[in-house]
Amino acid sequence: MTSKLNRRTMLKLSGGGIAAAAMASPSILSAQDAYPSRPINVVVPFDTGGYNDRLARAFAPFLSERLGQPLNIINRGGAGALLGHTYFLQQPDDGYALLCTSAAPYLPLNILTQDAPFTIDQFHMVNLPSRDYTMLATSTESGITSIDEVISRLKEDANSLSIGIQPASADLVNLMLMADALGIDREALRLVTFDGGGPTRNAAAGNVVDIALVGGQGFLPLADKIVPLLIFDDAPRDGWNSKLITEVSADAQFVSGSQRGWAVHSSLVENSPEIYQTILTAIEETSKDPAVITALTNAQLATDWFGPEVSNKSLRATAAVMEQHISLLQGT
Amino acid sequence: MINFDALGDAFTLLSTSWSAWVFVIPGLLVGLFFGSMPGISITMAMAIFLPMTLYMDFLPAIIFLTSIYTGAGFGGSVPAVLMNIPGTSSAVATTFDGYPMSRQGRHNEALGLALSSSVIGTLSSYILLMFIIEPVSGVVLKMGPLELFVVAIWGLMLLGSLAGDSIPRGLLAGTFGLLLGTVGMNSAGYIRGTMGIPWLLDGVPTIPAMMGLLAASQLLNLVNTRHLIEDEDLRKISLKKILNGFRESFQFKTIIARGAIIGVIIGSIPGVGSSISNLLSYSEAKRNAPDGDTFGKGNPKGVIAAESANSSSEGGAMATMLALGIPGGGATAILLAAFAMHNIVGGPSFIANNQDIVYAIIISNFAQALLLLVIGLGFVYFASYIVRVPMRYLIPSVLVVALFGSYAIDGTSSGPITLAVFAVIGWAMVRYNYPVAAAVVGLILGNLVEGNLLRTYQISGGDPAYALERPGALFIMALMVISFSLSAFSKMRRKRKEGAAMGAS
Repeated sequence: MTSKLNRRTMLKLSGGGIAAAAMASPSILSAQDAYPSRPINVVVPFDTGGYNDRLARAFAPFLSERLGQPLNIINRGGAGALLGHTYFLQQPDDGYALLCTSAAPYLPLNILTQDAPFTIDQFHMVNLPSRDYTMLATSTESGITSIDEVISRLKEDANSLSIGIQPASADLVNLMLMADALGIDREALRLVTFDGGGPTRNAAAGNVVDIALVGGQGFLPLADKIVPLLIFDDAPRDGWNSKLITEVSADAQFVSGSQRGWAVHSSLVENSPEIYQTILTAIEETSKDPAVITALTNAQLATDWFGPEVSNKSLRATAAVMEQHISLLQGT
Repeated sequence: MINFDALGDAFTLLSTSWSAWVFVIPGLLVGLFFGSMPGISITMAMAIFLPMTLYMDFLPAIIFLTSIYTGAGFGGSVPAVLMNIPGTSSAVATTFDGYPMSRQGRHNEALGLALSSSVIGTLSSYILLMFIIEPVSGVVLKMGPLELFVVAIWGLMLLGSLAGDSIPRGLLAGTFGLLLGTVGMNSAGYIRGTMGIPWLLDGVPTIPAMMGLLAASQLLNLVNTRHLIEDEDLRKISLKKILNGFRESFQFKTIIARGAIIGVIIGSIPGVGSSISNLLSYSEAKRNAPDGDTFGKGNPKGVIAAESANSSSEGGAMATMLALGIPGGGATAILLAAFAMHNIVGGPSFIANNQDIVYAIIISNFAQALLLLVIGLGFVYFASYIVRVPMRYLIPSVLVVALFGSYAIDGTSSGPITLAVFAVIGWAMVRYNYPVAAAVVGLILGNLVEGNLLRTYQISGGDPAYALERPGALFIMALMVISFSLSAFSKMRRKRKEGAAMGAS
């Protein structure tokens, strides 16, 4: 009776054996290997080609070298990063999902204007190297040469200039804060709303709108087609030759623009401090590596190291100012 | 104009390094394959292979990616012709006549036509690009909302010709599509019609909706047929017929030239691109053709018009990207990302300092177009075996592929759900004689029409005199009026001639 184990039974047995081995092996692996033992996903809540996507893709190879595992970039664009942020939080907080996002203004915007199913405290910023600033600019063909000219024309008639801007943006908050500080009638301003920074900048460079307020870093490739008029920051940025908001009005408030960079689940920091420490060290070392700094600077990407404390604080400060001006963010 | 020293350097650059050529054929194949998978867009195909290019030199990397771009541009038309599924949104107009041709057993001819018009379109757009790359950069940024609005309205004129037997039904279907196109958050930050579903904030996902409306509705109506082509004798796969179709398109030089020019111009405008240019070109070809009535029923000219325009948009988009460093659409955004990965910043300074590389990219694209001819021929030959598959296998497999494709778009179930919903809507529309294509055109143009009308209103403050400050818009409007009156005039004359002929006999 040697044929009791016929072919079918053998197949079943071996199939079961393989299945059992497959089921068992991950737990064996995770018990033995230290983090990271498999590839890590980087969630980018924007479509391919934008700043965060470029930052993630440029930084990933270097970070991957330090972590010893490949990094997969996962683009989850849509709904002003709401879908991507939600998706990120749905991933297990085991350190195998990192987030590369424009934390400000999108996290506060998701929460304040889109009923996001999360709070800012669920995200922990590891480092936000890119800190954009609102820039007020005009086309070289517009004939406008100084911010004083813009202000005096707007003071006389707030409707006299068309202003390119993105709805529900830090730029809009800055415009309104400036209008209030200078006594310009904010209701009468002639706003022209664009979907995204790129179209807003193109409209400014092409003299389609008289002036535009939009993130300044994105203007760098178009530098010779625009005149920078005003920067909403307290120190000069990126070599732009223009006035600062603090020079125009000493008591004008302003918010910083996009703050972009790396984040993890807050629960990871609490529950798995060793894994968090590995990620933190790897991102810090990579950010400070001279080769990385050269590569990213050439691609006009930021790699400064501010660290978690500064990054989280500055995100929360921006979120607080945005909450104060929530009425500006809902529909223009 | 052309800088011949740089041109010479470009040839040296290309002829001294084999690595610049090695990636052309794999790139084209990748592009053809991914482009022909419904739901995988040109952008996605390029994004998947972007990381690989990090390990290549700059020129081979760009050549590899532009090969994918070229291949995917044509790949999208294969399922459009054979299954009524536009593989990419730029192949919508290809379905209008390509698919009816297939059903009549003229699939070989249709694919040959599509291939040759694509190749000629790509070639001519890059030839144009060599001359216009500098002037283009001056004009593109000047395109304001009013100009884009006029372009969108021009596209909407297509609705009239898609209406079929009943104009009111056509307009109703078009309006339905336009309204669908306005779902989501508009440019002013207002959210409409999302029913609280976050996936609708960016609007109805266009590609799954399109697949549902066009393909699924068609397939459901074919449930009782045995084969895509009823007549068994016509179900042949014939290289000779493909080549005949290939040659046939050379007879329609005006249509190809018009398609190429429309493609380059529309393609160079950021944010518009090939999904609009194929519609515009189709609509112009239909209105100007003496046999305009047979468009939509399998007229080869329709395929030629659509394919020459969508493939030449590539050249236009490249012109904007190279000259200004700004992406016109997803594909060029990926190319710019590849530039950045090699520490090269696109834009005016790039062209000024690297003319040899720019010319090398252009010349390589000529070569890609010519190679596409050969590789495309083989690809098309094998793809057309689909017509031999019995419908009882084809319908479920195509539906499954479409469903997977719609899932692949952003990896959420919003794609498949949209596909299912729109398959039902599409089926109902066909059942009650509403033209599905009109709804698709409305859906594609809805956002463009609304956003730009809104911005025009915001800039002008509602003052119609603003139009007088925009010579560009006036020019486009004049072109549109001339084009319409010319075709009306020639139609009248034709009718009179026919009337006279009938009277004489």
